[in-house]
Amino acid sequence: MLTKTFKRGIHPLHNMHEGKGQTRDLKTREYVSDTVVISMAMNIGAPAKPCVKKGDHVDIGQVIGEAQGFMSVPVHASVSGEVVAVDSIPSLGAGNVQAVTIKNDFADTWVELKPLGSVEKVDPSLVVPAIQAAGITGMGGASFPTHVKLTFQAGATCDTIIVNGAECETHLTADYRLMLENSTRIVDGLRAVMRALNVKKGVIGIEDNKPEAITAMINASKGREGVSIRPLKTKYPQGGEKQLIEAITGRQVPSGGLPIAAHVVVLNVGTCAAIADAIIDGKPLISRICTVTGCVRKPANLLLRIGTITEDVIGECGGYSETPGKVVFGGMMTGICIPNDQMPIFKSTNGIVVLNEQQSRSKDESPCIHCGRCVAACPIGLNPYQIKVAADKSDFAAAEKLHVMDCILCGSCAYQCPSRRWLTPSFKYCKDHITAEAKAKAAAAAAAKGGNK
Amino acid sequence: MSEKKSLGKVLFNGIIPENPTFRLVLGTCPTLAVTTSALNGLGMGAAATFVLVCSNFAISLLRKFIPDQVRIPAFIVVICTFVTMVQLLMKAFLPSLDESLGIFIPLIVVNCIILARAEAFASKNPPIASACDGLGMGIGFTLALTLMGAIRELIGNGSVFGLNILGSSYEPMLLIVLASGGFLTFGLLLGVFNLIVKKIERSRVAKEAKTA
Amino acid sequence: MSLRISTAPHMHNPLTTQRLMQYVFIALLPTAAWGVYAFGLKALLVLILSMASAVLAEYLWQLIAKQPVRIKDFSALVTGLILGLNLPATAPWWMVVVGSVFAVIVVKQLFGGLGDNFLNPAMAARAVLLASWPVHMTSSAFVSPTFFKAGVDAVSAATPLSAKSATLMELFLGQIPGTIGEVSKAAILLGFLFLLITGTISWRIPVVMTGSVFLFSLLIGGMTPEAALMATLSGGVLFGAVFMATDYVTSPITPLAQVFYACMIGLIIVLIRTFGSYPEGVTYGILLMNIATPLIDRFLPRKIYGHQKEAKKA
Repeated sequence: MLTKTFKRGIHPLHNMHEGKGQTRDLKTREYVSDTVVISMAMNIGAPAKPCVKKGDHVDIGQVIGEAQGFMSVPVHASVSGEVVAVDSIPSLGAGNVQAVTIKNDFADTWVELKPLGSVEKVDPSLVVPAIQAAGITGMGGASFPTHVKLTFQAGATCDTIIVNGAECETHLTADYRLMLENSTRIVDGLRAVMRALNVKKGVIGIEDNKPEAITAMINASKGREGVSIRPLKTKYPQGGEKQLIEAITGRQVPSGGLPIAAHVVVLNVGTCAAIADAIIDGKPLISRICTVTGCVRKPANLLLRIGTITEDVIGECGGYSETPGKVVFGGMMTGICIPNDQMPIFKSTNGIVVLNEQQSRSKDESPCIHCGRCVAACPIGLNPYQIKVAADKSDFAAAEKLHVMDCILCGSCAYQCPSRRWLTPSFKYCKDHITAEAKAKAAAAAAAKGGNK
Repeated sequence: MSEKKSLGKVLFNGIIPENPTFRLVLGTCPTLAVTTSALNGLGMGAAATFVLVCSNFAISLLRKFIPDQVRIPAFIVVICTFVTMVQLLMKAFLPSLDESLGIFIPLIVVNCIILARAEAFASKNPPIASACDGLGMGIGFTLALTLMGAIRELIGNGSVFGLNILGSSYEPMLLIVLASGGFLTFGLLLGVFNLIVKKIERSRVAKEAKTA
Repeated sequence: MSLRISTAPHMHNPLTTQRLMQYVFIALLPTAAWGVYAFGLKALLVLILSMASAVLAEYLWQLIAKQPVRIKDFSALVTGLILGLNLPATAPWWMVVVGSVFAVIVVKQLFGGLGDNFLNPAMAARAVLLASWPVHMTSSAFVSPTFFKAGVDAVSAATPLSAKSATLMELFLGQIPGTIGEVSKAAILLGFLFLLITGTISWRIPVVMTGSVFLFSLLIGGMTPEAALMATLSGGVLFGAVFMATDYVTSPITPLAQVFYACMIGLIIVLIRTFGSYPEGVTYGILLMNIATPLIDRFLPRKIYGHQKEAKKA
């Protein structure tokens, strides 16, 4: 079968197989802990507002946080039981967020569900509102509210829905297991979205190092209108939104634009399955598959309730096998370190990777020798070594001229750098700074305008 | 000029703080070209010093009569006069030096240092101070050229002022007396000189901070 | 419990700068071994001296300049070895030391140390030595290899460039006079193969550079194909192409830029050989293009994802 791909990129292959090998053949099993801490900031955009108080009894699927505006989704109780606290916890980014702590009574009582029926028969206009009501956000890591992705601005057109089953990150096998174990649901979710948007073409892209998943998905998509499977070359970052679009459609998302500018919507396989659950069963997003691997005694793919605390998850996997140095939410290339193991999992937590002391030791930078490995790796075609020079001088204007804003922070350059230069962190710093500056400028301009009136 | 600088300070100014070669980087053309031996450097420096002192003095005397619009041609005429004198004197009394300096003697006319001092100092200051400035600059230039010449002659020929120092077994490093060697020596000396000046400056600032 | 926090990525390619330098060092060993075999103990002394003085110069400089001492990164050692291989076995000891010190201090450290030099240190040092002591650096200093003329003391012999005397096979194996490293093409190719297998360098610069020397020898030099092949195998073309033109710091980064760079080196070499007064142009060809490298890197446009349409509009 012909595989497609994008330009450049890297092959953390050996490590990737070692990493994925720990869990790729382990069947997903469910784990429910006796306490969950559900953060209200589950999505990019406005966090939800808690609407329960201490002492309340909640059922599974009950709304405990209300969406605040369009760029926001509601949050649901993932277990039934008593609310023991509504307080703030440290967030993954900066500052604190509100969170609801629920003590599980293991009665597993659900709120009344309102299924919409088969995805092929459901009224297309009901799909997107149902997706928002189910609290679905991008489950591949970015946690962008899915209904926002599916609501186009005037003039935008979409001709292809791409489902991301590449899972190019190291160590993670959550999407792989989902594709093997729940392939029909993924296709159902895709069909629901295709019908809602009146799009005739749906493509599921899967890296060719997962032949079993490709077969499973081909079988599941048989007889489904407009759905096709596209094997992709195994290369990092194949699952990056922009790279995936280039590999499958040959189009490029214009600089600074969203995928819709290339007439494409990209959804993660997990998101698709969650959409199917929301339409067919009326169930909100309350659990997800998460790969727990690295330095744990029994690595596993677990079906976890949103809000399960990391320490409990590690305990379920037999505990740490070595003194942990870092615990990473996500894969090794783009994952986020958590400050302590009291952090609960989010809707976007597709993996928990534990690194030992030695693996997590930070490496000293040595001088750039201009070997060009970063340039050969960059999937965007940037010159990371030049941007790094500008970043080190805090010369943001120069960095912007070198297109730092097009950087997708995939980490390929930093992975390849023989001098261990902190390329990706520098670029993130640059991007954050430039974005903040632009925001401040816009705010100042708006204030000046208001003053004139 | 309102503030009166002491003549000594004016004199010293040209030797280290505003050394024309290493600090102002003026007159680099003869600096690179003629410093293949210490004697050439000294000769070139002396000729330039003579012109500098005389032209600064003369221009300062004339500074009130020269209209602003035509000052540059006027300066050049004055400078030319002295350069011609130097050239004729040198041809008469030091023919061998004249031969080795060649075109660079008449080229003193367009040497940046001389015009720069006329413009920046002599046209605004009284004659004696101007002459002192010219002398200081001249000495600074001469010292720099002689130093460069000595270093290049030593490495490139094993001798200084024609005296063999490193012995007959020394195999001279030809590159240093070639053009590229001139650039190399100049660049390295420039760096060393700036390093020294900066160190002095830093210790002065530290001292002042202490006393204050 | 406290955990470390850092920004992604949390994993690195195990290849480090030090490892890359070690690979280059290993790749140079066959060439060095042949040089020592061919020219005897004298050659070994030259190599050891050049390496030792380069490393010592770097160590002392970093100590005096209060910089972190990085001699363990092997870069000074490699510079020293490459310089040594660029010298004839008859090189006097002081010339070797001057060359190494010049390479490390003036060319490398004064411009900011590893990664910031604008010329290949060994190549620049070779140029300095060539201009300073031509007697010790050109054909008069080249002795025929001693091993196959057993019993005969080192005799002065002309390079094949000025007197075409050697056969193609002798040229290839290295049974010719020359500098320690440049004579055996077979050993150089062995090193090249190692560099390719370890992924240290790409094939582009060496292949394009030797190819362009061959091509331009035909076109500009007006040589017969056989003579052009001889010309390509003579002198330091192959050694320069594999070990000196490929220096990361002073060669361009993108594939297209590398091809252009290598092509231009070939052109300059042939121009110097054909029209210049020097018999050999590898040194100056590489140095000139070293200087042009930042320009090439800057001005060859790159396609950036998501920017094509804008370019068309503009």
